[in-house]
Amino acid sequence: MTGTKKKAISLMLTAVMSLSLFTACSGGGNGGSGNSGNNGGSGTPANTPAAADAANEQAGIDTSKKVELQFYMLGNAPKDLPKIQEQINKMALEDLNATVKFNYTTWTDWDQKYKLLLSTGQAVDLIFTADWTQYQQYAKKGAFLALDDLLPKAAPELQAFVPQEMWDAVRIDGSIYTVPATYKEYVTGGFVWREDLREKYDLPVPVDIPTFEAYLEGIKQHEPKLQPLAIGAAVDAALQDSYLDIKRRAVGPMQYGVFASYDEPGEPVSYWGSPEHLEDLKTYKSWADKGYFSKNELNETESSQDKLVNGTAAAMLNDNPVRYNQTSSRMKSLHPDWELGYTPYGLTNGYATPVHPIHNGFAIPKSSRNAERALAFYEKLVTDKRYNLLTQYGALGVNYTVEDGYYKMLGDANSNGFPREGMNGWAWRNPEFMLFEPSYEGVQKIFDELDKIQKPDIYTGFAEDYTEYQAERAALEQVEKQYLFPLMAGQVADVEAGLKTFMDKARQAGLDKVQEAYKKQWLAYLTEKGIQ
Amino acid sequence: MKKQGILHELYTNRILFLMLLPTLLYFFINNYLPMIGIYYGFVQFDFNTSLFNMEFVGFKNFEFLWKSGKLMELTLNTVGYNLAFIVLGNVLSITVAVLLSEVKGRWFKKISQSILFLPYFVSFVILSVIVFNLFNYEQGVLNTVLQQLGFEPVDVYSKPKLWIFFIIIFYLWKNFGYSMVIYLASITGISEDYYEAAKIDGANSFQRAWHITVPMLKNTFVILLLFALGSIMKGQFDLFYQMVGNNGLLYSTTDILDTYVYRSLRVTFDMGMATAAGVYQSLFGFTLIIVVNAVIRKINKEYALF
Repeated sequence: MTGTKKKAISLMLTAVMSLSLFTACSGGGNGGSGNSGNNGGSGTPANTPAAADAANEQAGIDTSKKVELQFYMLGNAPKDLPKIQEQINKMALEDLNATVKFNYTTWTDWDQKYKLLLSTGQAVDLIFTADWTQYQQYAKKGAFLALDDLLPKAAPELQAFVPQEMWDAVRIDGSIYTVPATYKEYVTGGFVWREDLREKYDLPVPVDIPTFEAYLEGIKQHEPKLQPLAIGAAVDAALQDSYLDIKRRAVGPMQYGVFASYDEPGEPVSYWGSPEHLEDLKTYKSWADKGYFSKNELNETESSQDKLVNGTAAAMLNDNPVRYNQTSSRMKSLHPDWELGYTPYGLTNGYATPVHPIHNGFAIPKSSRNAERALAFYEKLVTDKRYNLLTQYGALGVNYTVEDGYYKMLGDANSNGFPREGMNGWAWRNPEFMLFEPSYEGVQKIFDELDKIQKPDIYTGFAEDYTEYQAERAALEQVEKQYLFPLMAGQVADVEAGLKTFMDKARQAGLDKVQEAYKKQWLAYLTEKGIQ
Repeated sequence: MKKQGILHELYTNRILFLMLLPTLLYFFINNYLPMIGIYYGFVQFDFNTSLFNMEFVGFKNFEFLWKSGKLMELTLNTVGYNLAFIVLGNVLSITVAVLLSEVKGRWFKKISQSILFLPYFVSFVILSVIVFNLFNYEQGVLNTVLQQLGFEPVDVYSKPKLWIFFIIIFYLWKNFGYSMVIYLASITGISEDYYEAAKIDGANSFQRAWHITVPMLKNTFVILLLFALGSIMKGQFDLFYQMVGNNGLLYSTTDILDTYVYRSLRVTFDMGMATAAGVYQSLFGFTLIIVVNAVIRKINKEYALF
């Protein structure tokens, strides 16, 4: 009977579809957990049957058993990574009787993946660390292995290669948890603007806030279609931290509205709710009202650099010299007649802090089963020219050549499977082997200028321990997003009332307790390091 | 009949139980075993030791949920939006399904069905881009049109009340095609005999739809309803996160538990607190489904899930 058949089919269809609806619901619930980014170089490493006894006996470590090291880096893997990995593994198998698998997290939700890698107990042997991946907090909480005893045994050469003061600078509670990068650079902020437009309309060179405002005003008048200033959704970092840096000489991007200046780090004050805070928020509001940035900056998804390159914005805050240089060359390749200008805040402030050793490093997580071999391999990566060049620039003759001492990419950015520093190997850069593009001269010039006024970075070595106030911290985070972000984006009509609401809510969430504990830890840190 | 022990039952139907075993194992391994992790919600997370050796801290991890005083607002928002989604979604998809089933033109029917179904495959990320390009103040479609017509531009992104409607509208736009197809499938399964009988009795097509089709869909509706209620605390993370994102101005009406928890733990990744939030959500959803199921059971035993 066709009736029953039809009915049966329809029932089945209904059942299957509702079931998939159900599973889809339950699966989609937890936003992007799992997936701990196993999407790096595909393909198994070359398991050549090299005999174990062929392996060189490394100084003091046992290499009798063949192991595979899990190496984790942030960002996207270059296309040619499997080939590079194969070549590295050939050498590593011979030198250390080990192979390595290079894993990349991609930039999507990297912070989630990073946290999962460390807290789920997954076997990871080497992982990137930086101040912006919360190295200090993780080290303090015991996520990494202390390297003090391991270094002389597994990587004596590396231990000698990295200067002692750098080892000391990365110490957290007295122990070394990461291998710092030794290349000296500046990742401090600066104004970025369109030099060609500035010249065309005879506007002042932005060196501080008043000149920057004059520039923005000029752009607004002469180029009404162009957004004068690009900020993006992260108004806290891209606007406020940067503004505090240049306007109030902040020691660093401190948390929870605590502020200390570089000149007087020992006197942290509460910035949130203060007259200075109100004044700054009013400035942001006036910028928004004058149309210097979009009313919908909080929902912006395009990066400020892209907006500069595309010609939809005319300035941005807070880029470092290297990134400015990248933006500039990207812009020139599309619009050869445009020019980008740059003023490092350091020149105005009178001091610049070279990158802190914590800014780039590699650590061995607690979950590693081959700590010794991992460290020995990392030593090779940094100090062995073959390993280093291969992982920084790709294969010579395939991905790059050297011309007059300069790095030259073969093909273009799209066809080349391994661009310069394609593995994001910032942490294992070795200044002795480094190759630069000719355009890097500009960056080097800025660095040389900053070298003349360099002062040490006080802030980055600070490791906050938020265990005692983590509930308040999480609650505060929410209040900040809901009430302070709109204020910073200039979207609250009555700034004074808005600030008051924010402060009330923040106090309710436990601001005072958090600030007090934070200040105490900060002062203790300063005393420990002998600053003040 | 003599009462038999469970062992006897297992023995007599051993083949059937054997066939059930893989399913039971599957659920045990994938759905029950991981529940051990709930314990993370009650300990202070520590990298140095295993789960059961960590320090027990009671409900300390749950504190952050109410510290900001938003728990009530979040729960209400979450439940409110989901109720709106469920009610409006079902009404809309049943109506359209009934109407479509009455349509005789084969081509028209197929095409409109596909058109309604297609948005289901649009990713939320793309939806957020579409929404931003519609409403953005400086270059959005809406404001460009308004200005062309001589009106003042509207800053949609600073009006939280409006977003209640936008979120519901975009949810419906994206999802109702799917449940509509489910209803359409059940409608196909209704025997033609009923309709013929009704026709002979002189019922017009509206009466036939109201008195035959709609009651016959009740079963499907109840099942979909229970499934939907089970995940009522889960919200539609992607939808809210993508459409609202970082814009704190809109949180008073658009913040749901999922987005709140995500934001809290994005910065502080603490296993304990993340688990606590998950436990709260699951318990609430569990209670809700038990209650609703009990109510349905009372009304009509056959429709209850269990």
